[in-house]
Amino acid sequence: MSQALDPRAAAHVSEVAVSVELQTPGMTLNIGPQHPSTHGVLRLVAELDGERIVNVEPVIGYMHRGYEKLSEVRTYPQITALVNRIDWVSGFANEIPLMVAVERLMEIEVPERAQSIRLILTELARISSHLVFMSSYPLELGAATPLMHALREREHVLELIEGATGGRFHPNFNRIGGVKPAAGGGSTQKKVVQDLPKNFLAETRAAMDNVLEVCDDIDTLVTGNEIFQARTMGVAVLPADQALAYGVSGPNLRASGVAFDLRKHEDYLPYHKYDFDVVTGDNGDCFDRYRVRVEEVRQAARIVNQAIDDLPGGPLQAKVPRVIKVPKGETYVRAENPKGEMGYYLVSDGGRIPYRLKIRSASFSNLSILPWALKGLIVPDIIALLGSLDFVLGDVDR
Amino acid sequence: MTTSTPDETAASEPVADAGIAALAERVAGIAGSDSWTADFGNAKVRVDRSRWVEAVEAVRDEAGLEFFSFLSAIDWSNEVAVGEPLEDPVEERYEVLVRLSSGRDNDAVTLATDIPKDDARLPTLVGVYGGANWHEREAAEMFGIEFEGHPNSGKLYLTDEFEGFPLRKTFPLLSREIKPWPGMVDVEDMPSTENAESAAAASASPPGDAQEQAMPQGDTTKGDENPEADAGGGEQADSPPPTADRTDGVAAQLPSSAEGAAEVPTPQSPVPSEESEAGAPEDEATE
Amino acid sequence: MTSLVGIEINFYVLLTLKILAITGVVLTGILPIIFGELKISAHMQSRVGPYFAGGRWGWAQPLADGIKFFQKEDLVPAAADRQVYKLAPYLLMVSTLAVFVIIPFSPNLIAADLDLGIFFALAISSLSTLGVLMAGWSSGNKYSLIGGLRAAAQIIAYELPLVLAVIGVVIQAGTLSMVGIVEAQIDMGVPYLVGGQVIGFGIFFTASLAELNRTPFDLPIAESELVMGYLTEYSGFRFTTFFLAEYAGVFSISAIAATLFLGGYGFWGLDSTVFGPFVLVAKVGLLAFLMIWIRWTWPRMREDQLQTMAWKWLVPLALANIMVTAIFKVVF
Repeated sequence: MSQALDPRAAAHVSEVAVSVELQTPGMTLNIGPQHPSTHGVLRLVAELDGERIVNVEPVIGYMHRGYEKLSEVRTYPQITALVNRIDWVSGFANEIPLMVAVERLMEIEVPERAQSIRLILTELARISSHLVFMSSYPLELGAATPLMHALREREHVLELIEGATGGRFHPNFNRIGGVKPAAGGGSTQKKVVQDLPKNFLAETRAAMDNVLEVCDDIDTLVTGNEIFQARTMGVAVLPADQALAYGVSGPNLRASGVAFDLRKHEDYLPYHKYDFDVVTGDNGDCFDRYRVRVEEVRQAARIVNQAIDDLPGGPLQAKVPRVIKVPKGETYVRAENPKGEMGYYLVSDGGRIPYRLKIRSASFSNLSILPWALKGLIVPDIIALLGSLDFVLGDVDR
Repeated sequence: MTTSTPDETAASEPVADAGIAALAERVAGIAGSDSWTADFGNAKVRVDRSRWVEAVEAVRDEAGLEFFSFLSAIDWSNEVAVGEPLEDPVEERYEVLVRLSSGRDNDAVTLATDIPKDDARLPTLVGVYGGANWHEREAAEMFGIEFEGHPNSGKLYLTDEFEGFPLRKTFPLLSREIKPWPGMVDVEDMPSTENAESAAAASASPPGDAQEQAMPQGDTTKGDENPEADAGGGEQADSPPPTADRTDGVAAQLPSSAEGAAEVPTPQSPVPSEESEAGAPEDEATE
Repeated sequence: MTSLVGIEINFYVLLTLKILAITGVVLTGILPIIFGELKISAHMQSRVGPYFAGGRWGWAQPLADGIKFFQKEDLVPAAADRQVYKLAPYLLMVSTLAVFVIIPFSPNLIAADLDLGIFFALAISSLSTLGVLMAGWSSGNKYSLIGGLRAAAQIIAYELPLVLAVIGVVIQAGTLSMVGIVEAQIDMGVPYLVGGQVIGFGIFFTASLAELNRTPFDLPIAESELVMGYLTEYSGFRFTTFFLAEYAGVFSISAIAATLFLGGYGFWGLDSTVFGPFVLVAKVGLLAFLMIWIRWTWPRMREDQLQTMAWKWLVPLALANIMVTAIFKVVF
């Protein structure tokens, strides 16, 4: 404005055909840290022009617990209890890469049965995590009913995890070299038979049927809804190259059309024994991110069904020294967690505690694309994008 | 919406060490470095600090590693305020790591560079990988490494007033300073069973310390948080050696629990009996 | 001095009594709608819903909620424009209640059968926008402000199709009087929903959802985006007023829709003077159920989609509807 009113500039106004727009001052909107849709304590400082976003600055760290530092004063078995609090929606899955990293440095061969149990529980954790997404995402777009349907089935899945591990959210179930025998199971050596609760396999099978059913319910209730599609299709597109450069992983990356699934590419758990598809989207918009997750629940149920069909017998734990000392070395183990690539860069100096444990959590990188992705969207699209990224603040802040 | 199954060979074959070594060698060639390792499935290429950005860029473009996994650092320090000191002295330095991987297959490599502590600066990778932005901010505030040319030098996690660089090895963990942690001694020599029992009583008796002492138990931690987790025998029968070791450590280290340990002669202090009572019905319930 | 049932009563006393009666009846009448919403949404979500309050089915839950709200502190934010902030809920309430004046429960049971009945209803119900805008502006909260402005934009957009949809009915009935419209339908034998105004009903119903800020048009509240929109800062009694006004709005708009399109108090074979109120309430219940059903099934639209829908679809459709109706009226 000031320039247009400048008398020296006024002479040229007619030549350049300036359309004088009414300049309204922008508004800075603080979204969060306490806000219904920020999944905890994310804060977005959004500069708005009307409802359009000019710039957005995510502020994180409200949940920072310093696990990397805390890991440096804890023995390896103790760290397990920390790491399943990183992404608390799928606590079990967080433990796996750490265990595999330690086992890799110690060169421990984990028994087949333990590996399969780990795999089953990881997939159950994935299902429960994705069911949380399937319940909360429509809610954020204004549909309240899918929440209850998806959460009901998630509760059954959590009951399965609780039955096997004793904990709904923080199982703390993995041991270096295997898994803990289930609650009441006795010592690892004596009671190899009594590792999973009675009826666990049958109940898991039944639960998988229900999960598949609720996926169909959600499909009919949400996926086909015109308003839902209008809100998500073509909104907040993440192109594959940007997603890769920002380290966006997991379903968010696959929705952009990159068929990158660590379950196919890495060997941290015996996924190669089972038949499943890598689900990818075409456009990388919010709708694809949603569809990929719904489809992944179906694939996960498929894996679980196969895994319980041929669950190998044998011990639950490898022979592990009583004092866990990890030989000198460095390794990075990454796993396909429900939220994306979860990895631990473990540096050991040969002692009982890690020298350095870098935790690569999926949500942190997934969220780091926000400032790039949000520009030019409008306020309701913030919510559509935030929800579709499916992050957990514990996983962002660690 | 498409589903695809990548070809079986790529999927099913575990990563062979030879393959990783070959990858490391290839990436080292691209990055213009001759220092690489491929231990424990971790292809690691060491590049010179002066060639940091161009090496990363070359690896992205020529090796096709377009997925930015993470960037972080290691503080190689002979003097530590937390944890155990290094066995062998090392050259004091920060090692900055960046992990890159392919978006198509299992190729993944760690690029590392050393920067001296008195000149902890490194050019930023934001121009190469957009994702480096937050990771560099994190490394900057945690280690005090300056990333030159970074668009936003503000703190990421910490408050702006925070002083110090928490992930440096010389940065003390305040809670440990106030109260030394008994967890560090939890795998010492095997004590006698009697000792362990009384120590368990000791650790359970001061209620104020319950939280503190739940934590060093490591793999049986959950027993305190979710009683159903380690239903019944879990605490005692599950893994006898660590339990015994651990509780001994607690008794030995904690001043507060020393009082409890004075009760050693009492054969049945009330607390363990309560525990076993509580454990028994749950045991049945689970079975 | 006026007479009521043979007793001479001062005019103002009578007026006060009438107002109190209407207010009482309306506020009691919307409790079943609130309760219905609680229960129906519960069953849609495989929940039980209210269960204990009142002893059976939790029927007293809306009452209990109301009493609870009254106990809450009436907070006024420091940044608020106090007078406006305090006035807003009452303005909204008044505008909603005033609509009941022209709703015919039976040929005789109507507060005032105005010649311009339906336009009075439309005009007075638009006042609610002012209440919402005042609430949003005066709260001193950015979420409230955005919510209030969204409400204003939305009501401007949807007032037009709403009025245009009504015009079709008015043309067909040849009168603006509510009783006249119902009688026209009774004469015709079928309600206008079947007898030519099906598109008009669709437009009216859609636009009324937007007027009421109900899903899928609940953008001004949009709790996942704007926390609670213009209601964010309200608490206690004032929040209750908003809450009741919302449901009173559901009742009144449903009653207008029932009168215009579903034949109002008339039903085949039933004596309107006796059964009229029950017939109308049943129709209102049906429409309210429809609104509740939609609310708990659909997600929320986006502001631009909402505007697109109003200006690009509903307004042209309503105009076409008027044209077709007028042609039929002239030709037949």
